[in-house]
Amino acid sequence: MNEDCLKLGDCTDTRLERIYEYLDGALSRSDLQTVQEHLSTCEECSAQYDLECIIRSVVRRSCSETAPQDLKSRIMVRIDEIRVEGSSHQGSSH
Amino acid sequence: MPTATLERRQVDWRSMTTNSTDESVVDLSTETEDQRRARFERDAMQYVDQLYSAALRMARQPSDAEDLVQEAFAKAYASFHQYTPGTNLKAWLYRILTNTYINLYRKRQREPKRSSTEQVEDWQLGGALGHQEPALRSAEAQALDHLPDSDVKRALQSIPEEFRLAVYFVDVEGFPYKEAAEILGVPIGTVMSRLHRGRKQLRGMLSEYAAERGVDVNARARTADKSARAKEQEK
Repeated sequence: MNEDCLKLGDCTDTRLERIYEYLDGALSRSDLQTVQEHLSTCEECSAQYDLECIIRSVVRRSCSETAPQDLKSRIMVRIDEIRVEGSSHQGSSH
Repeated sequence: MPTATLERRQVDWRSMTTNSTDESVVDLSTETEDQRRARFERDAMQYVDQLYSAALRMARQPSDAEDLVQEAFAKAYASFHQYTPGTNLKAWLYRILTNTYINLYRKRQREPKRSSTEQVEDWQLGGALGHQEPALRSAEAQALDHLPDSDVKRALQSIPEEFRLAVYFVDVEGFPYKEAAEILGVPIGTVMSRLHRGRKQLRGMLSEYAAERGVDVNARARTADKSARAKEQEK
C-alpha cells in the first residue's frame, strides 16, 4: 500500500469495495476519476482490479449455459395449454 | 456510507430499456390473444438460455432447472398483460423466475442441507486479499483464468444462496444494484451487503482452487522463466 491508496480508503476492505463499485459502474463522476487515476499509478490496486476482472469473466464464462433444445418448444406447448384452459374458463373472448 | 451515494446514482429501472426490438409499439387494449402470444414468443422467448443459466444456479439439478424455467415462463405469459412494454423485460422475467423458485423449489429443498450458510463462513474472507506480493498475484490471476468451469460452478454453488444470487445477478448478468434488488425483492442495501460477502467468499474459494491447481501454473512460469534466461545467456 502507498500513500495514494488512502484516496480509495484507509483499509484493504474499503479499497476493494471502491474497486468493486468502479467495476459495477456505481461511482459518482468525481469518485470515478479518483479511482481511475489511482489505478493508473498504483500497481497493487490495479493488480486487485485485474484479478477482479478475471474472476468476473471466469464466472461469466462458466455460467453461460444453453438450454436443452426442446425446452423452448415445451414452453410454448405449455403456454398454448394455458390459453386453451383460459378460453374454456372464460368463454372465447374477453 | 456507500449505500446512500449509490442509491442516488442508480439508473432508473423504468429507463432501462435494454431491448432493441420494437416491443414498445403495442396497443395493449386492442391486442388479441394471438398477437400477445406472438409478441411473447418474439420478445420473451429469446431469454430462455439466460433464464436457464440462472435457474441452474438456483436448482441444482438440470431437470429441476428446466421445470423452473418452464414454470416461470408459464407464469410470465399468464401475467404478460401486466408487463409494460418498453421497460426491462429481462429483469421482469428474472423477477418471476426468482419468485417461482422461492415459492416452489426452495421450500422443497429445505432439508438438513440448509447449513450451507454456516458451512461456508467467513473463514475465507480476507484470505485471498491484499497480503500477497504483486508477482504472486499475477500467477494467481493466471491460475484463476485457467480454472475449469466445473471448479467455478462448484465454488459458486458452495456459497450461501442469497449471496450467490446477488453475485449472479450483478456480476454475471450485469444488473445495476437497484435492479438486482427488484429482482430479489430485497432492499438495495441488502443486495450490496450480500454482494460484498458473496464476492469475498467466492474469491476465497476460487483462490483456493486456483492454488490447488496453481502448482502447475507456477512450475510452468518458472520453466518459461528459465528458458527465457537461458536464451538471454546464449545471445
